[in-house]
Amino acid sequence: MKKIENKKASQIRQIWALVRKSTFIKLGVSIMILFGIMAVFSPIWIHINPEVYDPIIGADPNVHGSVGPSLQHPLGTDDIGKDLFSQLLRGSQVAFMLGMMVSVFSTIIGAAIGLIAGYYGKIWDTLLMRLADIILTLPRLPLLIVISGIFGTQSNWIILLILSLTFWPIISRVIRAQTLSLRERPFIESARVSGVGNTRIIVKHLAPNVLPIAFYYLTVTVTGAILVEAGLSFLGFGDPSNMSWGMMLQWCFVKGYVFKAPYWMIPPGLCISLLAFSFYLIGVGLEEMVNPRLKKR
Amino acid sequence: MEMLNIEHLTKLFPLKKKLFSRDQQYVHAVDDISFKIEKGKILGLVGESGCGKTTTAKLLVRLLKPTSGKIYIGGEDIAGLKEENLKKFRKNIQMIFQDPYESLNPRLTIHSTIAEPLIAQGLYNLEKIHDALEVVGLKPPEGFLYRYPHELSGGQRQRVAIARALVIDPIFVVADEPTSMLDVSIRAGVLNLMLALRKSFDLTVLFVTHDLAVARYMCDDIAVMHNGKIVETGNAEEVIRNPKHSYTKALLSAVPIPDPRAKRERIRIRGKVV
Repeated sequence: MKKIENKKASQIRQIWALVRKSTFIKLGVSIMILFGIMAVFSPIWIHINPEVYDPIIGADPNVHGSVGPSLQHPLGTDDIGKDLFSQLLRGSQVAFMLGMMVSVFSTIIGAAIGLIAGYYGKIWDTLLMRLADIILTLPRLPLLIVISGIFGTQSNWIILLILSLTFWPIISRVIRAQTLSLRERPFIESARVSGVGNTRIIVKHLAPNVLPIAFYYLTVTVTGAILVEAGLSFLGFGDPSNMSWGMMLQWCFVKGYVFKAPYWMIPPGLCISLLAFSFYLIGVGLEEMVNPRLKKR
Repeated sequence: MEMLNIEHLTKLFPLKKKLFSRDQQYVHAVDDISFKIEKGKILGLVGESGCGKTTTAKLLVRLLKPTSGKIYIGGEDIAGLKEENLKKFRKNIQMIFQDPYESLNPRLTIHSTIAEPLIAQGLYNLEKIHDALEVVGLKPPEGFLYRYPHELSGGQRQRVAIARALVIDPIFVVADEPTSMLDVSIRAGVLNLMLALRKSFDLTVLFVTHDLAVARYMCDDIAVMHNGKIVETGNAEEVIRNPKHSYTKALLSAVPIPDPRAKRERIRIRGKVV
């Protein structure tokens, strides 16, 4: 068994060597690590003085109206004395969690459906792909607004569910196309001659071969999920018991501080763009690795 | 005793219909063929590209469903069996594919690849995998178990494919041009291996090839295929020395003579392959 471990380790080393060569991935991962630190730092910052720094219930009693950056409040406060830096840190937690979970869920659903549609074909293919088409043609944001309106109380879990259910069709289309070409390869035929069942062929023979592509789309989906969550929160459909970047922007807008308080407006906007950008960079880097035709000489 | 008996086997592939056209047209890939292979014999199926050799091979291992006809293996007809009922019979019949670069899953280790038929039959046993690797000449087996196909040469890969086919002790093996993608220098090695294995495993083999020299070397009997039909069958030596059918004669005339100055008179084949 030791042999397997050695093999795995050397594979990881190979991947790491490839990753280190790609400027895109390096840059993307650096930005991501920065936000990771922010997310981890959030509870520490709150711990200093929970009554003032808690992003949901805390507020500084000595502050009246929104004030700019100071030593005590690195990014200033909002109109009722809440610490903006604390909100920004919490926002990075939410963005990370939501973005990652949406992309993982939708990639799993999308890959499963794509594999089934591509491998079984016929009626399955038609049914699943028409369903995907229907979801793809529906405008996403209005749909989300309607659905979150139906659910009434908003929580991040419902947002997560809705986003996952609307993001899978893109991934399943790509995975299906891949599966269609893989299905005809002789190694799948030889597995069938060996007596391998359909389920095992999908799981053991097809899935590992579509994994690189699925992983690329996973990073692209994170970008989309972060942006849509920010959009929803900005429109007032976020989770009111939590704080996210989109919600910071919404409050800034609702309270009429857009032009008065750049220290309130700019940081969350910048964070949204940067985090989305970092995942996009990683995606581009991965695509270069997966698709050799894009490689520079 | 006949191991394999094929009666009136036919496979039609529907062509795309023309707009407003009522009658469906078909390609007759395999057109009403019948032959027998006796236990322990090797039958060579020869013919040009596109004549239906590979389709026949795929029909016999039931990768394709025959349009009509019967396939008796050990007395049991498998032509009409449904996918669910095929599993039991897959233990008895295996296939070796043409291209060893394509027929092994690039993401599975050699161990996992050879284990697949065993796992499918619920017979997994590491000893058997060791034995299979040793039998096909990949020694020591430990050195190959956890490698990936891309780390092996073409000849080694084809040996792995043979090991996978033999690991569950089949009684009948279909070999679809197993050496045509290999380098000439290692071709003889793989062919001799197959001859040796056929003896030690008492295998019945359908050997599909377009190479008459290989067919003569490997096979007891030869069936010549043309346009989806079998035009001539008989003892290998006999068919090659004394061809009866005009197509067989034409096929033999295409084999070059190993003398740069000698020129053989070519016989042109009439009749199109669609």
